[in-house]
Amino acid sequence: MAEKTFKIVDEAGIHARPATLLVNTASKFTDAEITIKCGDKQGNLKSIMGVMSLGVKQNDEIILVANGNDADAALTELEKILTESALV
Amino acid sequence: MGLFGFGKKKEEKVFAHLKGEFVKIEDVQDPVFSQKMMGDGFAINPSEGVLYAPVNGEIVNVFPTLHAVGIKSENGFEYLMHIGLDTVTLKGEGFKAFVKVGDQVKVGDKLIEFDLESIKEKVPSMVTPLVVTNLEGKSIKTLNTTNVEPGKTEVISVEL
Repeated sequence: MAEKTFKIVDEAGIHARPATLLVNTASKFTDAEITIKCGDKQGNLKSIMGVMSLGVKQNDEIILVANGNDADAALTELEKILTESALV
Repeated sequence: MGLFGFGKKKEEKVFAHLKGEFVKIEDVQDPVFSQKMMGDGFAINPSEGVLYAPVNGEIVNVFPTLHAVGIKSENGFEYLMHIGLDTVTLKGEGFKAFVKVGDQVKVGDKLIEFDLESIKEKVPSMVTPLVVTNLEGKSIKTLNTTNVEPGKTEVISVEL
């Protein structure tokens, strides 16, 4: 299991566009189950609705938890995407 | 009664989510939608500021800024409706929600009211996509594209 915590700085939070970016990135790693947690809620990072329904806002902390053979690679790539798109 | 299905439903009908003009998903001015990155569907350019339930189901998402709503249908499909483009920047101003997560809704139930005239001035477009976010290879079919009326017009069907 691999896990990483991020603080969201984008003032719009994780809305449609960043949610899509995260889901499409996560979905590339077929051998990893990835969960996104925010507060007391959690969702599947490969599901648009799973991510959108968390309603992540600016300054919220998210935890990405990955399991499976691709777990580490997935988290590395997700961190890159989060940073590049100025979400964190 | 279907000839082949012996009355068993083979598709899910999706009704108009707003009153207005039909827009092909490919013509929405945002690649997230036009390139179907979130899923396939259609859009409506609204003539009235009310968003209605397109299917029977459960509300699974009301985004904090009230510009996006998700419904999970009785058949398990997830529909995301996104009122206008770049409306996340409005931070909920001009939007009023009539439902919350966990509510059961029927086709034609009012979900969100929004101030169409004032919001229109502040965003690039009020075209409101509806996409199925978990099609997983299933296809959709367009049924009606003219005179779309919420709760009355079946706009697309989704293969079960």
